[in-house]
Amino acid sequence: MLLKLLWSYFRIGVMNELAYRANFLVQMFQSLFSLGTSLAGLAVVFSQTSNLAGWRPAELVAVLGVYTLMGGVINLVIQPSMQRLMEDVRLGTLDFSLTKPVDSQVLESVQQVQIWRLADVAMGIVLLVLALGNLGTQVGPGEALVFGLMLLCGAAIVYSFWLMLATCSFWFVKVDNILVIFQTMYEAGRWPVTIYPGWLRFTLTFLVPVAFAITVPAEAVSGRLGWGTLVGAVALAAALVAFSRWFWLTGVRHYSGASA
Amino acid sequence: MSFAFGPESIRVRDLRKVYRVHEREAGLLASVRSLVRRRWREIPAVDGITFSVAPGEVVGFLGPNGAGKTTTLKMLSGLLYPSSGELEVLGFVPWRREREFLRQIALVMGQRNQLAWDIPAIDSFELNRVIYRISRADFRRMLDELAELLELWPLLHKPIRNLSLGERMKCEIAAALLHQPKVLFLDEPTIGLDVTAQRRIRSFVAEYNRRYGATVLLTSHYMADVEALCRRVIVIHHGRLLYDGDLAGLVRSFSPHKLIEVEMEQGSPDLAGYGEVVSADEGRVTLRVPKHATAEVTARLLDEVPVTDLTVEDPPIEEVIEHVFSQEAR
Amino acid sequence: MRHLFEIYRAQLKVTTATQLQYRVALVIWMIGIVLEPVIYLVVWATVARSKGGDVGGYNARSFAAYFLVLMLVNHLTQTWVFFEFEMRIRQGTLSPLLLKPVHPVHADVAQNVTFKLLMLVVLVPVMVVLALVFRPVIHPQWWGLALFAPTVLLAGVLRFLVEWTLGLAGFWSTRVSALNQIYYVALLFFSGQVAPLSLFPHFFQVIASVLPFRWTVSYPVELLLGRLSGRDALLGLAAQAGWILLSLVLLRVIWRAGLRKYSAVGA
Repeated sequence: MLLKLLWSYFRIGVMNELAYRANFLVQMFQSLFSLGTSLAGLAVVFSQTSNLAGWRPAELVAVLGVYTLMGGVINLVIQPSMQRLMEDVRLGTLDFSLTKPVDSQVLESVQQVQIWRLADVAMGIVLLVLALGNLGTQVGPGEALVFGLMLLCGAAIVYSFWLMLATCSFWFVKVDNILVIFQTMYEAGRWPVTIYPGWLRFTLTFLVPVAFAITVPAEAVSGRLGWGTLVGAVALAAALVAFSRWFWLTGVRHYSGASA
Repeated sequence: MSFAFGPESIRVRDLRKVYRVHEREAGLLASVRSLVRRRWREIPAVDGITFSVAPGEVVGFLGPNGAGKTTTLKMLSGLLYPSSGELEVLGFVPWRREREFLRQIALVMGQRNQLAWDIPAIDSFELNRVIYRISRADFRRMLDELAELLELWPLLHKPIRNLSLGERMKCEIAAALLHQPKVLFLDEPTIGLDVTAQRRIRSFVAEYNRRYGATVLLTSHYMADVEALCRRVIVIHHGRLLYDGDLAGLVRSFSPHKLIEVEMEQGSPDLAGYGEVVSADEGRVTLRVPKHATAEVTARLLDEVPVTDLTVEDPPIEEVIEHVFSQEAR
Repeated sequence: MRHLFEIYRAQLKVTTATQLQYRVALVIWMIGIVLEPVIYLVVWATVARSKGGDVGGYNARSFAAYFLVLMLVNHLTQTWVFFEFEMRIRQGTLSPLLLKPVHPVHADVAQNVTFKLLMLVVLVPVMVVLALVFRPVIHPQWWGLALFAPTVLLAGVLRFLVEWTLGLAGFWSTRVSALNQIYYVALLFFSGQVAPLSLFPHFFQVIASVLPFRWTVSYPVELLLGRLSGRDALLGLAAQAGWILLSLVLLRVIWRAGLRKYSAVGA
């Protein structure tokens, strides 16, 4: 059901976008270009040193891979859908979703797709494959499995985080601003959060879950993930998914009560 | 004010504007194909129109969407330059946008805001005062007058975003008139407003025109605007001029129909034999009949149907216009 | 001239009133201004420490100085006319501006000046805190200190002219975001926002001196840090002046051409 919905929104997205020829080329170009920029930034740093706080170049490429992949997923469907959700609440068009015979959380979560972000997803995967090829010796099937699990957890945490923020718009009008903060802070994830001073690391771990979205999965492939972090990430993901679901349902009840 | 170039305040001769647009097709495959190759088409938005407007006249521009009304208005105000033809407003060539010209005109668009969204109107007015070089005394006097006529006093110190659509429009119009433009272009000034606000703006425009002798060109979807304000209308369709004259003449010369409304005790019998049935409710039927047959059909109805009441009317002006446009399309 | 002065006074009043409505947004934009320099500060300080304290003449504390001053200069010179122009042309809000008997560039200047000054109220306290955390040191010459403010001003003028001119690309394409991105990436590297230019290979530094970017951001920073010779400092001033003149000419030419195009295809 979820996939079917996603596909139909994807199809609409494709048709909408293809109307603008320039967009197609421009967006491809932009994705490549921003990736090249990040790599060039890495190159500048590694022209002066061979490791950054213990992270070797290939490992930082892996971090960048996860950053690009996760950023791609967020911008592909999570961010646009959540933005639209807040709009729906503000304009009252959420009524349409609530009266459809589908789970409203699912519907609202996939309703808007920015197809060009698929390019980021693809490039993130390419980067990861390259990085893994380079780190070959230390990544066995076990590590790969853990890596996949951590990616899923990271995505779940980011999604729940966005959903909770967007759900706040049932009570507060101006939530967009907080989302801008997240988007800005996400930039910091291009580097492992372990290099940042304590206060910034704390912010990036608990206030804005950049650490779990990017650094933790990258730690899984570079062999520095402890059992504690692994279990913690899984537990946090499960807890946030459950909590955000509960929060969403509460929000919807509040919305229906208020507008009835 | 003297017009060096003759008595008209607006002169248009053989004005044309051609756009080039690319064609779009439906469907996923077609949209992929259009990535590679796209087809262009030339569309004449305004296709050779000629008219002139005397100072102080209020002229209504009528035509369906895409008829070329807004394009014409934009050429007159200087935002677009014509593909060909002659064009003169207050003796200026609009598209050169000389300062002296800009200080004497105003364009108000119902769907677009010029006033800064976040601050009270009065602050934007003050900015306009400086930009248009209005003296403090003139500004004060004009502001008093506009605020009085439009009932702006309670609105002036609230941020624009907190105003209703109608209140915002009143402020927009006031902002556009502070410099006492000699020519005023109004593009759908009442769009989306409630009836009271529409009426208020209408009577204000009439009053401004009367007091200052300004030339007003108006486009509107609401015939009420045009009926209330414009003795003269210009009808354009597909970029061509269809009619230029007074409103009554438009109905007379273009409507070949009358409407007959029949009321009966009960039921709504099939009256299709008498004319085209426009609507049929319990006890009331409206028929459209050719003008020349009105008397004959009325007589037959009174004779053959148990009528309790019967009225004959001209069709509403919207319908006449619609009729004109659909005739033209054939 | 007096008329223009009056317009500016009125315009500044309006933009100040407008931007004061967005106090929360100011704090959020502050994060955007602060975060990137802090990231690179941390990265380079880490590198310096792992190399025994020194990279290309910078240690952790002089990197801190470099990136904190850069943060300030970057804020004082940056504009958002790029986005503004695209939006104006797409939404048609340029048309009413064209019908006013004053050049639209003045409204933008006023808006940018207001934003920069208002933002300083938020930015300066944050910079003080950051200075306490990262403890920067600088070794300026007296003339470097004296020239800092004028070169920042020139940098601001230059960057405004360049970005306004590039924003005019919106007249020809409704999607200028690609050009925008190229510009920002070039700016990022060539104006020393990723790392001080002296850490780059020689050929890169030569290119950076030929392009305008360096003169819009990193030149005043290097000046204040005391990393330029007297000769380089003077060359920098000349480069700023030259680029400003060139951009003024370009702006006029492209603005005229853009308007012709705009009034041909529809506003």
